[in-house]
Amino acid sequence: MSVLKVGVLSCSGEECLGGTISRLATRKVLEELKFIDTVTLCLPLYLAGGEEERNFAKVYPTISVDGCDKLCAKRSTEKYSGKISGSIDVSKVIGNENALNTKIVRNKDLKDEHLQMIDQVAGEIVKMIGSISPDSLNINPK
Amino acid sequence: MLENHAILPCNGLDKNAGVISREIAIKLCENANNKIICPVYYRVAEGKYNKIAGEHSLLVIDGCQTRCASKLAAEKNLKVSRRVTISEEAKSHNIELKSNLRLLENENTLIEIILNGLNSPEDKVALSSDETTVFNKFDYETYQHGKFLFRVPANPEIYFNENDCWAYVIGTRARIGVTDFVQQNLSDILYFTPPEIGTEIDQFGEAGEIESSKSVFELVSPVSGKVISINEALIGKPELLNENPYELGWVAEIELTNFEDDKELLIGFDKYFEIMKKKVEDINV
Repeated sequence: MSVLKVGVLSCSGEECLGGTISRLATRKVLEELKFIDTVTLCLPLYLAGGEEERNFAKVYPTISVDGCDKLCAKRSTEKYSGKISGSIDVSKVIGNENALNTKIVRNKDLKDEHLQMIDQVAGEIVKMIGSISPDSLNINPK
Repeated sequence: MLENHAILPCNGLDKNAGVISREIAIKLCENANNKIICPVYYRVAEGKYNKIAGEHSLLVIDGCQTRCASKLAAEKNLKVSRRVTISEEAKSHNIELKSNLRLLENENTLIEIILNGLNSPEDKVALSSDETTVFNKFDYETYQHGKFLFRVPANPEIYFNENDCWAYVIGTRARIGVTDFVQQNLSDILYFTPPEIGTEIDQFGEAGEIESSKSVFELVSPVSGKVISINEALIGKPELLNENPYELGWVAEIELTNFEDDKELLIGFDKYFEIMKKKVEDINV
């Protein structure tokens, strides 16, 4: 069984709920669902010229998770590392109105409905990792 | 309490220092008139954030020594009035940060300490340079050795130590940096680590690091005092040190505390020029 390493480059946005959901869903996949063969790439570092992050995304399949349709993560990955293996636009998963909510962006303000959105997006990330590296779903607990 | 600041956190997602930078930025905006600049969206909505940065004093919060937020500020030509680096603060307070991204006891303690420092009127993180002090007059003498040219400013207000660092002194302030001898020896400079703004530096104390593919040079401060500003441009473009280590490549500005005593251990142009020439010949740069 060969498990492919997959990179996740998530929006670190501060402007709207979509950014918060992206960040927390990505962390959930790594910390709670413990996808050990999945690596987060730091978007601010990536944009600032981080060679390790950019090279990783060139060599390994990488998924972008964006909070809104500005698609900062997807566009920058394509710009600096080439073709992306998968892309999740959180606004399409939780709805544009939710994603662009600028009143609730902080973790402490999140309610049950927002926690469900995080689960939903984390599920999408897991599905995408599975489609790229099917064996990954067998070794990682869900 | 910190007020009327634009806050640029690194917002990193793969180290908890980045998560802490974000948390501090958020807390600073909760009960005060401060605004966060999103380091990711800034690259998309430059106009919006340029306006915020232009209308407020800027606090930059870097998570680690990679200093992504500082690099972004330098790239956008923003004037930084305050700067915090989480990993340095953790080290100076003996707080160990875990490798996961959760804010646990240590992380929350550090957040409180940093917030108290930033909100205190006596904090040492602050201060920017007085723009009325102008360090712009350089009368160079040169020394050629093989293909290498060494410039040394001969102005009487510029002092040197034998560690190949200079201090340009005007009134109670000094601008410090390294000489051509250092940059020629290091060759292509790749990284610059500035001293922390607000730090008190002793004469001959460390005032930043410069690294090339050949070696690392610790800048030895010719003067004692408080670091009041650093050359932001060097963070994004350390190669400016190769271009001209006196004008474009100055390192930091110091509020002098004891220059009369410091002066006794410094040398002027004539003596330094001779010492440098001998060093060049000895090591055959």
